[in-house]
Amino acid sequence: MTTIHLEHLVKRFGPFTALKTMDLTIADGEFVALLGPSGCGKSTTMNMIAGMERPSEGRILFGDRDMAGVPMGQRGVGFVFQNYAIFTHMTVRQNLSYGLRATRRPADEVTRRTNAMADLLQLTPMLDRPAAGLSVNILQRVAIGRSAVMEPAIFLLDEPLSNVDAAFRAVMRTELKQLQRTFRQTMVYVTHDQLEAMTMADRIAVMDHGVLQQVGTPLEIYNNPDNLFVARFIGSPGMNLLPGRPVAVSGGLAIDLGALGVTPVLGPEQAAAAGRAKGPVIYGFRPEQAAIVAPGQGMAMPINFVERIGARTILHLGQGQDAAKVVFENDAGFEPGKMLHFAPLPPTVRLFDAASGTALKGV
Amino acid sequence: MAEISFRNVTKRYRGTLAVDDASFAVADNEFFCFFGPPLSGKSTILRLILGLETPDAGEVLIDGRVVNAMPPAARNIAMVFQNLALFPHMSAADNIRFPLVERRENPSRIAARLADAAAKLHIGHILHKMPGQLSGGERQRVAIARALVRDPAAYLMDDPISALDARLREETRVELKRIQREAGRTLIYVTHDQEEAMSVADRMAILEQGTIRQIGSPVEIYDNPATTYVARFLGSPAMNILPAQRMGSDFTAASGLLTVAAHDSLTGVTEMGLRPEDLRVTPFAGTGQPATVAEVEPLGGYTVVTLSAGDQPLRANLRGQPDIRVGAQVALSCDPSKVIYFGASGKALPRMKGAAT
Repeated sequence: MTTIHLEHLVKRFGPFTALKTMDLTIADGEFVALLGPSGCGKSTTMNMIAGMERPSEGRILFGDRDMAGVPMGQRGVGFVFQNYAIFTHMTVRQNLSYGLRATRRPADEVTRRTNAMADLLQLTPMLDRPAAGLSVNILQRVAIGRSAVMEPAIFLLDEPLSNVDAAFRAVMRTELKQLQRTFRQTMVYVTHDQLEAMTMADRIAVMDHGVLQQVGTPLEIYNNPDNLFVARFIGSPGMNLLPGRPVAVSGGLAIDLGALGVTPVLGPEQAAAAGRAKGPVIYGFRPEQAAIVAPGQGMAMPINFVERIGARTILHLGQGQDAAKVVFENDAGFEPGKMLHFAPLPPTVRLFDAASGTALKGV
Repeated sequence: MAEISFRNVTKRYRGTLAVDDASFAVADNEFFCFFGPPLSGKSTILRLILGLETPDAGEVLIDGRVVNAMPPAARNIAMVFQNLALFPHMSAADNIRFPLVERRENPSRIAARLADAAAKLHIGHILHKMPGQLSGGERQRVAIARALVRDPAAYLMDDPISALDARLREETRVELKRIQREAGRTLIYVTHDQEEAMSVADRMAILEQGTIRQIGSPVEIYDNPATTYVARFLGSPAMNILPAQRMGSDFTAASGLLTVAAHDSLTGVTEMGLRPEDLRVTPFAGTGQPATVAEVEPLGGYTVVTLSAGDQPLRANLRGQPDIRVGAQVALSCDPSKVIYFGASGKALPRMKGAAT
């Protein structure tokens, strides 16, 4: 069994606590992303799973087997780092087959598995080329293949795509996902890039300052962030968060945003959440989930900056605390300096308690 | 004030063509971006502008004057490198002041330039700190401030924010654009991140192996790529480019799964291109052949769907969070006016206008 259990895991480096009491179960064959900014504890967690670091407290189990004292080489774990470690004096084939040869597999099996992995990762045309002189992109592919060919029950990847270029990153995301579908390894993937986590992971564990913030499927986390950190960190751009207070208006409850005026009437679930607020709230809405309305029908904010990126147009609205971004799929004459009249779609609005930063749930 | 241009510039390194017959003209106060894969000649172009390299053929011009023989220091161009190269033993303020102190400017002028740059970059509160105490983003701004105080004719930046993490890059690129507008200077920028290039550039040049393939605004290039290379290179997910066959009055692609009404004047079509956001995916209604959903990537605001249809996977970028599962059978269609046709050499053919669906 290759379920990974992290139980009350703590890691301290001298006086600094890198990881504060982490509990997480990763199911057999599951793809979990550990996502967060630098210094959030994600790599520390990964290193403890791999056996490179020893937990200060708590324990790690693979299935029902406690990993305390089990050295890295005996954990049956495959590992790929940001900086691929490829033998540059060897060919691609020699690199890919290295682990199989080192464990003295029969020659026909080495050939068969090496060829299959090369095929999966589109390395077949360059199998007999020396690794020296291949591009960074290809080398990272070789590094992934060399680890995956051993068919480890657990596959750990620490920012494997952060050194490859943007276009190649998109290709590799798909390939890694296919790799995992093929071999059904339990996959733990460390990244600071929410896009990588969203596109590949079955579940995402969002971390900040050594604390696990939320665990869920990509859409659970996107749609229902538990707190302000997750709301901001997930999405590109992140969720808009505006401070305000619940007020009664004709037709129900809304949020008074101070200088920005009063929001459109809240939907029933959001109104129930607002009813639970004990003080000021944060009004949250996704940049993609707003509609343009007639003046007076919704909110009005000045357009400061228009970013058109391919099919998407990102409008930067307002300033300072009263800033927001909205995203549209066309550029219907948006111009800096003009007012944008818009309304967040009521069912997608999320409210947070301003004091604690935690989500206010309607149900 | 600086207009910077190349006239048929070629540069070889030991016989390898790094820049091949490049011509362009960057206007005064323009934010101009060079965008290409590794080793496509981006950094060599910057080095030629700076005067760190001399062209083998052609002319480098600044404000209409040929500067091939002018030494770097005389060109008054400031460079911000990828690795920020701050002096670790100097405070942020001393780092920023450094070029002015070197030039023995008078102290009151130095103080004024420092205050001005600090205000533009919002770094007044960190001026006393040492580089080691600053975050990546803060170090970045200090490095840009140091370039800003020199009051150069133009700035060159070589992938200056690639070391920052994704969220910070999104914010910093907007910042850079604002600073360039406020500083009112020509800015030539190199990046391999296409979102960044499209976000900041007034115009951009797309490079392939030392050759400029297309110059235009990001929107022009995105909407009307000149070649299949440019079409594939700009846009994420990349444009679907499919071998196309003429079938009577239609073009078909993807093993007949995508059919588009043809325009009679169009000849020599070998491939058709369709952006993922222009590919329509609808439930399969039982006529013709379905495509199968191979991969679904939910991003929250939109969903990228990979479809297996014949020999080549197709990608669609759908709005929102549609209920679509791996293995589902779907029908594909598109608005014919969104299709870009390419000929045998990979060059785009004139766009069809007003074609019937």
